[in-house]
Amino acid sequence: MEALLTRHLEPAAPLNLAAYQATGGYRSLTAAFDLKPEKIIGIVEAANLRGRGGAGFPCGLKWRLRGADAPSPRYLICNLDESEPGTFKDRYLLYGGPHQIIESVIVSAFALQAERALIFVRGEYAKGGNALNQAIQEAETAGLLGTNIRGSGFNLQIEAHLSGGRYICGEETAQINAIEGRRPNPRPKIPRPSTHGLWGQPTTTNNVETLINVPHILLNGADWFRKLGVNGGCGSKLFCVSGKVKHSSLFELPCGTPARELIFEHAGGLDEDRTLLGFLPGGASTAFLLPEHLDVAMDFDPIAVAGSRLGTGSIIVLDNATCPVEVTLNLMRFFARESCGFCTPCRDGLPYLTQILTIISSGAGRADDLALLDELCATIASQSFCAFAPGAVMPLVSSLKCFHDHYEHHVITGHCPFNETNKKRA
Amino acid sequence: MGTILIDGHIIPFKPGDNILQAALEANLEIPHFCYHAALGSLGACRLCAVEITPKDSSKAPRIAMACLEPLEDGLEVSISAIAAQQVRQHVIEFLMINHPHDCPICDEGGECHLQDMTVACGPPYRRYRGRKRTFSNQNLGPLIHHEMNRCITCYRCTRFYQDYALGNDLGAMRLRNEVYFGRFQDGPLENPFAGNLVEICPTGVFTDAIFRQHFARVWDLKTAPSICPHCSVGCNTLPGARDGTLRRVRNRAHPELNRWFICDRGRYGHQYSEHSARPLAPRASGADTSYHDALTAAASQIKSAQDCIGGLGSAREDLEGNAMLQALLNTLGGIYTAFSDPELETATIAAVSSLQNTGNAPSLAEIELIDAALIIGDLTAYAPMIDLALRQAYRKGAKLALLHSSPTPLAQFATTAMTVSPQEMRTTLSRLYQLINAQSATEDMTETPMTDIVASLMGARKLLLIGAIETLTAQEVPILAKLATALGSDTRLAYAFSGANAYGAALLSPAGSAMVMLEAVEAGQIRILIVAGNDPLGDSRFGPRWRAACRNLSALIVLDCILTATAKAADILFPVAAWTERGGTFINYEGRAQGFAPVFHRPEYLPSVAEVITDLGQYLGHSLQAAPSVLGDIFSDFEIPKPGTTGSLIIAPSLPMPTTPPVHSAQESCSSMWQAALTSWYGDEALASFAPGLMVLIPETVAMIEPTSAIDAGIKNGSQIKLRGSSGSMVLPVQLNQGVATGTIAIARNVLAQLGVGHGDLLELEQVL
Amino acid sequence: MSWPTSIAKGITDMNNILKGLQKDLLHLPRTHPKRRATAIPAMQALQAELGYLDDAAIKKITQITGLSTAEVEELATFYSLIYRRPTGRHIVRICDSVCCSMRGADQLLTAAEEYIRTSLGTVTPDGALTVLPGICLGLCDKAPAALVDGEALGPLNDASLKALLQRLQKED
Ligand SMILES: Cc1cc2nc3c(=O)[nH]c(=O)nc-3n(C[C@H](O)[C@H](O)[C@H](O)COP(=O)(O)O)c2cc1C
Ligand code: SF4
Ligand code: FES
Repeated sequence: MEALLTRHLEPAAPLNLAAYQATGGYRSLTAAFDLKPEKIIGIVEAANLRGRGGAGFPCGLKWRLRGADAPSPRYLICNLDESEPGTFKDRYLLYGGPHQIIESVIVSAFALQAERALIFVRGEYAKGGNALNQAIQEAETAGLLGTNIRGSGFNLQIEAHLSGGRYICGEETAQINAIEGRRPNPRPKIPRPSTHGLWGQPTTTNNVETLINVPHILLNGADWFRKLGVNGGCGSKLFCVSGKVKHSSLFELPCGTPARELIFEHAGGLDEDRTLLGFLPGGASTAFLLPEHLDVAMDFDPIAVAGSRLGTGSIIVLDNATCPVEVTLNLMRFFARESCGFCTPCRDGLPYLTQILTIISSGAGRADDLALLDELCATIASQSFCAFAPGAVMPLVSSLKCFHDHYEHHVITGHCPFNETNKKRA
Repeated sequence: MGTILIDGHIIPFKPGDNILQAALEANLEIPHFCYHAALGSLGACRLCAVEITPKDSSKAPRIAMACLEPLEDGLEVSISAIAAQQVRQHVIEFLMINHPHDCPICDEGGECHLQDMTVACGPPYRRYRGRKRTFSNQNLGPLIHHEMNRCITCYRCTRFYQDYALGNDLGAMRLRNEVYFGRFQDGPLENPFAGNLVEICPTGVFTDAIFRQHFARVWDLKTAPSICPHCSVGCNTLPGARDGTLRRVRNRAHPELNRWFICDRGRYGHQYSEHSARPLAPRASGADTSYHDALTAAASQIKSAQDCIGGLGSAREDLEGNAMLQALLNTLGGIYTAFSDPELETATIAAVSSLQNTGNAPSLAEIELIDAALIIGDLTAYAPMIDLALRQAYRKGAKLALLHSSPTPLAQFATTAMTVSPQEMRTTLSRLYQLINAQSATEDMTETPMTDIVASLMGARKLLLIGAIETLTAQEVPILAKLATALGSDTRLAYAFSGANAYGAALLSPAGSAMVMLEAVEAGQIRILIVAGNDPLGDSRFGPRWRAACRNLSALIVLDCILTATAKAADILFPVAAWTERGGTFINYEGRAQGFAPVFHRPEYLPSVAEVITDLGQYLGHSLQAAPSVLGDIFSDFEIPKPGTTGSLIIAPSLPMPTTPPVHSAQESCSSMWQAALTSWYGDEALASFAPGLMVLIPETVAMIEPTSAIDAGIKNGSQIKLRGSSGSMVLPVQLNQGVATGTIAIARNVLAQLGVGHGDLLELEQVL
Repeated sequence: MSWPTSIAKGITDMNNILKGLQKDLLHLPRTHPKRRATAIPAMQALQAELGYLDDAAIKKITQITGLSTAEVEELATFYSLIYRRPTGRHIVRICDSVCCSMRGADQLLTAAEEYIRTSLGTVTPDGALTVLPGICLGLCDKAPAALVDGEALGPLNDASLKALLQRLQKED
């Protein structure tokens, strides 16, 4: 497949407005302004564009549910907070082509008739964010933003917010708090942000990758977009592959491409051609999959059927020289550290899990610790306030199942089979 | 209105409520931490898990947080379901991971919600094997002790402090399992309602630092339903005593008044009754004596001065004490009033009379529902809980307009705050009345703040007009009432009186009698003065005259429980019981009579004012009726309200609006351009000013001046000025403050008293140093 | 508006930014929601200048935002990129999350700590360096990776890290 979303990315020197326009950039504005907003939403719905931020919620449906009669001002938030371990696709988009993002935000905001848009940029991406700000200024000067854009009668301001830095700021409602200058704890889901979001106004949040598909869908149609995918997937997808692979990178491939192709063809196979132990298909907060899942289509539903989530489409590869207990402990440390501290199961439960895992990995685990982990995970996953904690325990719960033998080995022998000293003995 | 089924019980619910509220309303306990009736649901603690049976029986039951779950008719809920119990058990286990288990030495012991919930839901054993996270504590000032390791992160403290009480110096810092509730730096909490943290915190993070100094286990405390004696709101409280000393005061819910909270003056002011200088033995001719000898001495003095006797009761003494004093004076043919300040007397009587004409003052619960208010003066100082109620109204969008002469905390929430010098207050109010009566705001731009106020008042549906009596004159009080009438039937009128029983005192005091009494003492026509719970010699405006006049007395007989200037000067002193040491009745700002019960008795014999007066009558050969029947004669059908009940409005003969001309102290000699204004803070009250814990927090003594007036007079911030009043001069540092009216110098009560100057009197600026 | 951060130090002129913020904001009433929204940009601007936010900086933020010191502290202490303790002239954040850890980040952190001879998160005695562990930097394709004054680096090994730290120590 020809690269669609990454075609014009130039990380070393991103295209300026003129150069971007020369590649056909901003053409989708003309197409969009000729259509009624509801029509655009209809097309996006027909294209079956699903959210790329993690949950995979259908984008068109989200837009339609917001309602055309939502009171002004309406907000669109472009989520570029990307902090999910294993995920770096949004970084490529930001550093490689800020105008592509702006174009997507304009047409999406037009579809939503949102007169204000915010791009929430991860704090670590400050340099890319500065380039984005310059691009916004360029677009403003060129009349692509502001009032009555190109005589369409549509007004839009885009503003970028640079995060102070925390994983939870990627969560939709925490992000709204962060923008408002409040502590970024998630908000209750009733009332919904689609009616009471930023500053109490109707607000729609989408991942940046979701949005950059919209111009192409508008220019080429829903059918064309659906056909870009393979194995039942729709559209083009940015996949990250990292971990124990030879060539870790970002790959733009048809949605539905199986993990085998991603890992072994595009990423060049495993380090030192070791054997695959397992992989996380969609970033740190998804469940482990095993070699037997290599041929499952990397698409939302098939991966869910296999017991995990497509998440951000970021594959993290474990080889057979990697201790899965150690990796899981690292993930749990991450989540315990990034918990916002609002609700009990997450705030105090995750450090508890981390503590048990630490004991197990140090060889001092007890036989009933594995059952205890399972027992605690059940409550943490189902009873926390936001989706952070369920995501956090997913890799652990699956790790306990997928790598049960490894855990047992730690508990029974009191040693990590991958420990340096152990390896020497072997 | 529908019903739901909780574990087989049919529970009715109100629309908009959630499962937890419906259950609690029906006395079904669902364990919870972060939910609080005043603060609402948050959904953070996750303890209130319940199981919901789906209507569709093919679906599995689900666990939901009761505090977040909306209600619908026929909903089936189980608190006891095993799955729900399991969740609650885990939540408790999580919360106890870092808890220090220092229960044996914890002040919260006996009333710890965390302990109750742990016993009710939690695992009885500990599975966590790691180390505990520890915090260091902050010094939060003299009133509240901080012990962060006990925290369970329910966010109640900051939600109360920031969201409810609108304080801004306590926050939730950091994140994950390190969330820390504290201040930016060590230092006393600034909000006048901070003490409520002690009760709102479900564990021992915030505890009562004053109680801690003299701690008792709470189940050892003697308690009885009481009423706060520190202002006219009449919050319901529950004092606790042990071993003959009063240890603490807590809130006791009154459904229409204070409900969950009290102010810090109410919580910590009680220390006056344990003050080291509190008079505990009767004194006559400069020496301690027995109660019998003191009574004998007093009786003989009174007998030798037949017909030349005055009785000064008090707005901070109960109805019984005042009524008995009045009865004694009636018998002896003397004069009685409860007020030493004639200004205050007329203003208070005018206010009660206005309320009788326009309808009763609204309760705190009603005040929370208003959508606009006109506030005259500083409510934070004179009726703190009315301030808190207005903060709730403000949170719901009410517009507050404020007229004030000296700084007041409510100004920060006011839509329009206008500084007005004391002497201009009357014309300002009259102008407001004119504008409102004309039914139109003027277009005159020079009157901007006024027209804004008029617009906000006329645009409101539920309106409150309220003034602090302490800084209003008898002329201004009825203008407020006239304004209320002009603004229509949904307008409520209220006054913040000075003294817990000021309303009752006004009902007993004939208008003008304070002046008559003062002049009679000055003229030597009154030779014996009985003062019960009052401090004429310490009065700011009339203190100098009283001090001079009292030299004419043959005996000053004082009954009090604090060592006031008057008590110090007494020829015969009867120490009396503080409010927790006797029962009695206060009539609050609404006219609500509320009873308080004796909580304990001190080892010394300390009678109430009513008892001393009864005994004195006996020694004089007059057998006075008992207080209930005296009161029954004054107020037809009056029944002493039972402590612990919600009280009832007093039915009193209507008071005529006093016609006595205003009595300004002799000011002709003073040609100054400066007026004095009284500036107060929440600890400023006769009894509370004997509470050491509060007095540590007393604001620095300064003269506050509005910046442009100061510049005109060549005064800079921080410079020293010398002020002169009728009884002396004082040098004070200057603080420029926008909250002071032009041409006005705002100073604290004790400074006013030293200078012998009242609120609104002229004040001489002798020198800028 | 351009973005000031400690990660991309010196990219803005603090005074202009603050003046701009203040000009935009002072006419807003205290309760206007927008005003508190300037807290993070204002903190980033000040930090770009100072390296971290000391108590005086927090007070400055209160003037801009109309928040109290406690409210500003509530925000400042939440974020990982807002520093309340002094930092070195150069900030090196080494990722310790899953991908980097699998490729040697743990040894890298140990090596860094040995090299700087102070604990992670503190300033070296010469004032040059602060080395911190950080969560996934979005550089998993460069694992083990680090952000050095906002610039992405990776993959690193003990030797290249040491060379880097040495170079930074000599730079202003
Ligand atoms: C803990 C947490 C972190 C998240 N982080 C991100 C993120 O960094 N970027 C993102 O686009 N979505 C993130 N999300 C998902 C967002 O809440 C939201 O669902 C998404 O931005 C919607 O966009 P989409 O529908 O286009 O996927 C996160 C969700 C959770 C629960
Ligand atoms: S699950 Fe709870 S503590 Fe964790 S991030 Fe969400 S709200 Fe915060
Ligand atoms: S009371 Fe329901 S979550 Fe705390």
